[in-house]
Amino acid sequence: MRAFLACIRKEGLELLRSGRLLILLLIFVFLGILSPATAKITPWLLETMADSLAGSGITVHAVNITALDSWMQFFKNIPLGLIAFILLESGIFTGEYQSGTLILSLTKGLDRRTVLLSKAVMLCALWTLCYWLCFGITYAYSAIYWDNAVARHLLLSAVCWWLFGLWVTALTVFFSAVAKNGTAVLAGTGVCVLVSVMLGMLPKLKAYLPSFLTDGYSLVSGFAAPREFLPAALITLALGILALAFSFPVFSKRQL
Amino acid sequence: MDMLRITGLKKRFGDKEVLRGLELSVPEHSIFGLIGRNGAGKTTTMKTVLGLLKADAGEIAVAGEKVSYGQTGTNRHIGYLPDVPEFYPCMNAPEYLAFCGEITGMSRSDIRARGDELLKLVGLEGEKHRIRGFSRGMKQRLGIAQALLNRPKLLICDEPTSALDPVGRRELLEILKAARGETTVIFSTHILADVERICTDVAFLENGKAELQGPLEDIRARYRRDEYLLEVENEADLPRLLQAFPALEPAGENLLRLRGKEQAVFEVLGFVTERRIPLLKMERTEPTLETLFMEVVGK
Repeated sequence: MRAFLACIRKEGLELLRSGRLLILLLIFVFLGILSPATAKITPWLLETMADSLAGSGITVHAVNITALDSWMQFFKNIPLGLIAFILLESGIFTGEYQSGTLILSLTKGLDRRTVLLSKAVMLCALWTLCYWLCFGITYAYSAIYWDNAVARHLLLSAVCWWLFGLWVTALTVFFSAVAKNGTAVLAGTGVCVLVSVMLGMLPKLKAYLPSFLTDGYSLVSGFAAPREFLPAALITLALGILALAFSFPVFSKRQL
Repeated sequence: MDMLRITGLKKRFGDKEVLRGLELSVPEHSIFGLIGRNGAGKTTTMKTVLGLLKADAGEIAVAGEKVSYGQTGTNRHIGYLPDVPEFYPCMNAPEYLAFCGEITGMSRSDIRARGDELLKLVGLEGEKHRIRGFSRGMKQRLGIAQALLNRPKLLICDEPTSALDPVGRRELLEILKAARGETTVIFSTHILADVERICTDVAFLENGKAELQGPLEDIRARYRRDEYLLEVENEADLPRLLQAFPALEPAGENLLRLRGKEQAVFEVLGFVTERRIPLLKMERTEPTLETLFMEVVGK
């Protein structure tokens, strides 16, 4: 346990002093502000564009903006946050393989499982912090300008997206145990997400795939019921746990 | 007791067979020099001992405990100093040692006391800058501090002096020499002067095997020949000596080599005394590690 806590502290220190934490927090704070801000300026944007649009034969009527528009923007923007998160954190293992820093720790008797677990926990915690910070900011601004009550099952839809992010994080950990460099980690994780999105085009499979969890707007706008998300949520959770579970034997047998 | 015992160790990288049934015994409290050419398998041997590389065949035991690939249990007995130690650049030296102490299970008070003691020993006391800005020499010194932190039974150093300046090299060798009281030191190198300076035991690695190993003094005695070197003051005396003793042969400027038993030495000394030939020196030549190594590698 002491070794695990020491590793967590080390990861935290690296995150803080390398500036990665600050960059991630700035990105997610920006995205959190961007969603309600985009919704807020939409009427003004349309109004300023009304004359030029009228020339093209498009008539702009008065637009009624609600919290739903803010949440629609949130679900459009949050993938950018996840991409930034994975891009910045994809080297958390491979950076150590390449620099050789991990070798000294392991030669002190540090258990490989402790290394993997501490990094996985750190990544999940970081994703959780960034994601819910972004959500909280959007929630606060949406509550100030409009009424969040119009968004149905808001917390559930947010949990679904968070779960999707955790699955992607687990994939990153798995590919970090397998691959030698950050590019391969990104490629492996990206291919898995892409496969999920492609398979999601098949109507019969759609509701059982992790990518289905990203359709939070259907939930908040009332187009989908919460129970429809249950299979995808359970499967995503299982796939995430499997990815982490397989990471341990792969990492233990890895030649360094 | 052997602190490290390797039996029948084999390791292949693709087509290249690096270790071909290596047998090695490192006695407790020895300073063991692992000598070999580049690519002889020194680093492979060390990484296999550390459980970082998987052996194709053979067994390794550290302090009597079997080493298993991927498991780090036996590493609690080991301190390791690679040729280019790499640390977390965002930490400073005391923070890094504290991290090492935590993962090895040392008590907080011991980490602090031992950390301070070692930082003083390697000349990094009071150094609060991040490791990112450390020179190669400073990293090497921090490397030795982290390797000795948990008082390991076996200290493994992989070419520790290869990139150091003469002063840094001498300091590091002194630290390794001093560590012998507490630990067994094994270090790989191709700088034979370093081995001659501090090692008690050696092994020559060639063709994936230890061609020669044992206490340095025993090896020297085994390879010692009845050979003497004679230096005369005046070059003009050389022909007289060469003529009088067919066993003498030129060995450089004003130098003569004598191969033979002690009786031949007495005869030569009698000759030079009688004729009052000024001598600068007369000594028995000891086989150097370099000559032994060249003999082993067949050059």
